[in-house]
Amino acid sequence: MDEQIREVFGQLHAGEAMKENTKAALDRARNRRRRPVGYLAVAAACLVLLLAGLGGYRYYFTPTTYLSVDINPSLELGVNRFDKVVSVRAWNEDGQELVDSLELNLLDYQEALERLVASESIADRLAAGELLSITVAGENEAQCGRLLAGAEACTAGQENVRCHQGDVEELEQAHHAGLSLGKYQAFLELQALDPTVTAEDVAGLTMRQIRDWIGSLSQDADSQGKGNGQGHHGEESHGYRFGQS
Amino acid sequence: MRSEEETNQAVERYGDTVRRLCMIHLKNEADTQDIFQTVFLKYLLHDKPFESGEHEKAWFIRVTLNACKDLLRSFFSRNTVPLEQLTGQADQLTGQGREVLATVLALPQKERQVVYLHYYEGYTAPELSRLLGKNVNTIYTTLARARAHLRETLGGEDHG
Repeated sequence: MDEQIREVFGQLHAGEAMKENTKAALDRARNRRRRPVGYLAVAAACLVLLLAGLGGYRYYFTPTTYLSVDINPSLELGVNRFDKVVSVRAWNEDGQELVDSLELNLLDYQEALERLVASESIADRLAAGELLSITVAGENEAQCGRLLAGAEACTAGQENVRCHQGDVEELEQAHHAGLSLGKYQAFLELQALDPTVTAEDVAGLTMRQIRDWIGSLSQDADSQGKGNGQGHHGEESHGYRFGQS
Repeated sequence: MRSEEETNQAVERYGDTVRRLCMIHLKNEADTQDIFQTVFLKYLLHDKPFESGEHEKAWFIRVTLNACKDLLRSFFSRNTVPLEQLTGQADQLTGQGREVLATVLALPQKERQVVYLHYYEGYTAPELSRLLGKNVNTIYTTLARARAHLRETLGGEDHG
């Protein structure tokens, strides 16, 4: 009986199909267990790429220096660390029209300035004797210096162009007052001579008009004594303001 | 997790034992296939080293028996298969072999288990007591009962 039982069980085997199916199932299980690690690695790699992409995008598209271009169209070019224009902002309606008519994004700042100066809107005004002011402001002094020199170089042929350097603090104050930097600097000069002048008063004026106003006020201040000059040039300045704007 | 080489070796080495244990408990090819895979999947994930081949074999027997018991516990009432359907699992056997197998499988489950492990795998009663976690006297009694049942049907003397 023992022998019979041993013999019977000895004849029973796990079929090849059963073994092969099981080996395949083991392989699948092995791969399934491993895959989460693979997913994790892929997810991590994607995240790194995404962050690098976002970082790179920010790095490239964050302006480091601003060029304020004022004649009466007032606009501001944001220039990144590679001296490329990455943002264009208009500060008045004329400026918006000009911005809409030109494609300045991603141009080298010098090429952008050349296109602006050559644009009909600005060229006509320059020809008519208006003043173009280009003001450079940014945290990186080396870049500001480089951009100022570049701006001077590419507008060297123009008589009525003035290039200045400003600073970031002034830029923020200008934006707070609703003016572009170039105009704000002129406004500060004007306000020093006539404290009653407000930012709104100069917003609609051309740079030439503001400069002339400053000129007339300082002339008054020079030609007359401080004591009795106050009332007079205040009056004149108001006359000018309402006459021109 | 064990390597492909390890698991393939285990399938070859212990496949027959697992299959036979499944058969004496399950009587159904689909369940046998399920448990067969379950046991080797557990082995795939079982990282602790075995002290010896014997230790490893005992692990396979215990895991297979537990897996079978789990399955029976949940499916027994719905999935009992008449003995006649067993032929599908025992195609390899001759006429006489089939009769012997049918006799063994007709025993109560506890007896089937010890008959296989004692007669075929060669475990002694004290070894079975450790392997199955039962009192050694219980094993002796179960074995004696199984022998009596088998003798009734198969006749002849046993030497166990």
